[in-house]
Amino acid sequence: MKTGLVYRTVVAALGALLFTGTAAWGQAEFPVASRTLKNGMKVLVQTDHSIPSIALYIFYRIGSRNEGPGTTGISHFFEHMMFNGAKKYGPGELDKVMEANGGSNNAYTTKDVTVYQDWFPRSALPLIYDIEADRIRDLSFDPGKVKSEREVVASERRLSVDNENGGLLDEQLWAAAIVAHPYHWPVVGWMSDIEHWTMEQLKHHFEMGYAPNNATMVVVGDASPEEIFQLCEKFIEPIPTHAPPPAVTTVEPEQLGERRVVVRKAAQLPLLIVGYHIPQTNNPDFYALNVLRTVLFEGESSRMYQRLVDKEQIALDVSSFTSPAFDPTIVQVVAQPKQSVDPQVCEKAIYEELARAKTAEISDTELEKAKNIRLVEFYRQMRTINGRANTIGTYEVFFGDYKKLFDAAKNYSGVTKVDVQRVAKVYFGASSRTVATLIPDNAHEKAKP
Amino acid sequence: MRAARSEWRLVALLLAALLGCGGASGQTLELPAHERIVLKNGLTVLLLEKHGVPMVNLYAIVKTGAAADPVGEDGLASVTAGLLRKGTKSRSAQQFAADLDYIGAAFDAEAGADFSSVSAEFLTKDLARGLELFSDALLHPTFPQGEVDKLLAQSLDGVKGAKDDPQQVIGLYYYGYLYGTHPYGRPSGGDEVSLQRIKRDAIVKFYEGNYAPGNTLLAVAGEFNGAEMRKKLEESLGAWSAHTVASAAVAVATPAKGKRLLLIDKEDATQTYFAFGNVGVARNDPDRVAIRVVNTIFGGRFTSELNEALRVESGYTYGASSFFDSRKAPGPFGISSFTKNETTAQAIDLALQVLQKLHKQGVTEEQLKSAKSYIKGQFPPNIETSKQLAQIIATYEFYGLGDDEVNQLEARVDAVTPEMAKQVIQKHFPSENLVFVLIGKSSAISSAVEKYAEKRDARPISEPGFWPPPSRMAK
Repeated sequence: MKTGLVYRTVVAALGALLFTGTAAWGQAEFPVASRTLKNGMKVLVQTDHSIPSIALYIFYRIGSRNEGPGTTGISHFFEHMMFNGAKKYGPGELDKVMEANGGSNNAYTTKDVTVYQDWFPRSALPLIYDIEADRIRDLSFDPGKVKSEREVVASERRLSVDNENGGLLDEQLWAAAIVAHPYHWPVVGWMSDIEHWTMEQLKHHFEMGYAPNNATMVVVGDASPEEIFQLCEKFIEPIPTHAPPPAVTTVEPEQLGERRVVVRKAAQLPLLIVGYHIPQTNNPDFYALNVLRTVLFEGESSRMYQRLVDKEQIALDVSSFTSPAFDPTIVQVVAQPKQSVDPQVCEKAIYEELARAKTAEISDTELEKAKNIRLVEFYRQMRTINGRANTIGTYEVFFGDYKKLFDAAKNYSGVTKVDVQRVAKVYFGASSRTVATLIPDNAHEKAKP
Repeated sequence: MRAARSEWRLVALLLAALLGCGGASGQTLELPAHERIVLKNGLTVLLLEKHGVPMVNLYAIVKTGAAADPVGEDGLASVTAGLLRKGTKSRSAQQFAADLDYIGAAFDAEAGADFSSVSAEFLTKDLARGLELFSDALLHPTFPQGEVDKLLAQSLDGVKGAKDDPQQVIGLYYYGYLYGTHPYGRPSGGDEVSLQRIKRDAIVKFYEGNYAPGNTLLAVAGEFNGAEMRKKLEESLGAWSAHTVASAAVAVATPAKGKRLLLIDKEDATQTYFAFGNVGVARNDPDRVAIRVVNTIFGGRFTSELNEALRVESGYTYGASSFFDSRKAPGPFGISSFTKNETTAQAIDLALQVLQKLHKQGVTEEQLKSAKSYIKGQFPPNIETSKQLAQIIATYEFYGLGDDEVNQLEARVDAVTPEMAKQVIQKHFPSENLVFVLIGKSSAISSAVEKYAEKRDARPISEPGFWPPPSRMAK
């Protein structure tokens, strides 16, 4: 499923890594320099001179969970507006200046965070700081820009949701699985909210979320900690602190029975998503859950692939998704049924496989395999400056401490077959699942003579 | 997200990067040293040692791709590649999956227009097993009938599912309408009709006729000992028995003359997806660096003229871009974007205006300077991992390009002048001769888009095939 909006990790990859020599599970760490600025922003720097490039990420702890009815999607819209003009670099200038100096950028918004990403050669380092400081402190809200950017966001919603069956069904799934907590609404926002945001709401959102004390900066690549901290002192530290967003206090009540959602629309193929409730990312079952999901879904030898795709041939693929979250969240099982297959046939097979994982322990081979898969996936994340920036930041923000990424190897090693069976029982029960199905409805075609 | 990393744009970006681009200012970019050897059986091997991450990447190019699919059997090369791992002399598909997954390794095989690729990735400590799995699939596939049936059925449904998302298929319709029956117009993954014609015999014949050491080159990059690796490769892939392969040349397609437009009706679309352009250049075109620089300015980055006009200034779209998909023979050039139904004509008009402005006014010295800096500054992450390096050196070898594509990048990019840019625009960016393809709600947009071409065609998206409409041959 492709939605460009929500940052997804198939399974957050963890393990230990050495850059200087041979790898082994559970061995040492790479150095990360850390400083908290006077205004509360934490800055993490990992130096690597292998390519003359730098990846700079800023994680703001504000996302769609900080919104309300009428202003859904405003965090994501805000992410767009952060590029559209501040005091020194006016509308359109930020991108032109950055690209003219060899840099590029992007950003993403999730239910929990908004992350800004810059990739640039080290020669552009002071400039990048000038640009970032300008927009963190003095973002402007040109009415013309608000107007055109609103259209851009609407186009993005059409691209990833309205005209994309996976995105559409995902949106419906969340809305049914989460009824009270702000995870209920989509990151991009409902279309009517997109159409009605006001200038006041935008400005209020800026004041609420974009405080330096509400952010973590991660710099990975061809720069030393000394030069980064110097630049932070000069450009970032003077930006004043202000109150972070109000705490989200709504707790999703326990789901007491299965929920079902059906979407009928023109389509060639049906689609199935089943959502289950799991705790926030920083929870003791995180590793056991990842091992379970690896055994069930990863690779063609996984249980779900073997059953649904290979043996029974009722699906083209079956996978699981979840994203890092501050609050209790959802893990999804997504199955792409074949054209002629009733999604309920896929459902039955999925539940039977989940039941197997509950009634009996997985095998030693499966446990070992899952750990090996996670290790290699971790190397893939860690072998680029971009992957490291993202991982260091994700750990710092969602686990509270980037150093926890160095414990991951130990934590994976410690997962037992008993743990895996337990989490299968605890989290994958029938009464806590939400089932969303897309049924092709091509009535308009049938109506043709 | 701020900007879509759509697959099509990523392909364009990767290809554009491979066309040859600049190094970082102040530091010259260089491809790491690598060795080239030819085994006794004719297999060309490129070895690149890169230490630091304990992984090994293999990337093999079999020099026959989808362009060689027999007429009416589009998808044959792709399905052949997909079946390599689905049963070998020593393993069933399930056993292969179990052995591969156990060591956390990855294996992929696919066919593009010009060549098929077979790749693998695993930890250095698993070198023996990883190499053995790779060789097993490449040298000893058995194409069991059950697996053939399975993959064909999956591919068929895959094509149907892709049509539910216009973004996934706009390229296929565009290439088909632009190239017609020329091989580059045919869908490399096949379509609803062609996939039903493919039989096991044809797959075996394709494999035996094209997969041979003399028709293959293999790049190995990562953390390994060179001498040890050579020995292991001689033992495993050196045993691949040689046989001759008919080489296939792809004809140079004639660029389209005049204008024509294809409207693919998707009744429930709230957004129109469009692409237009003409035939572009071959991968080794001498103008490729200048083309890359100009295309960066025109439609190859966020602040491109196209994106500035269609997204930043007018808000018509989340993204607009242009690309050169350069191949062995001249590949497509295209301008692409999408916009809500109501602004379809406005967005296309604007894109056309930007194209005409490019021809009339060319590019400024300042734009050139910016684009050069961008290309050079953005290049290093393209050669950061051994996975990328294996693919790049193999691809350069295939297209007859050398290390200078990287090592001379900075110099070549810096050498592009406004005069060179002007010539490249005239020669390679189309102006009056344009092929248009749109996917959208016909009842909402067809009258608005009539003006773009006198010659017009239309099909519903649910009809099998892309373009030309598949003929109903007997099975």
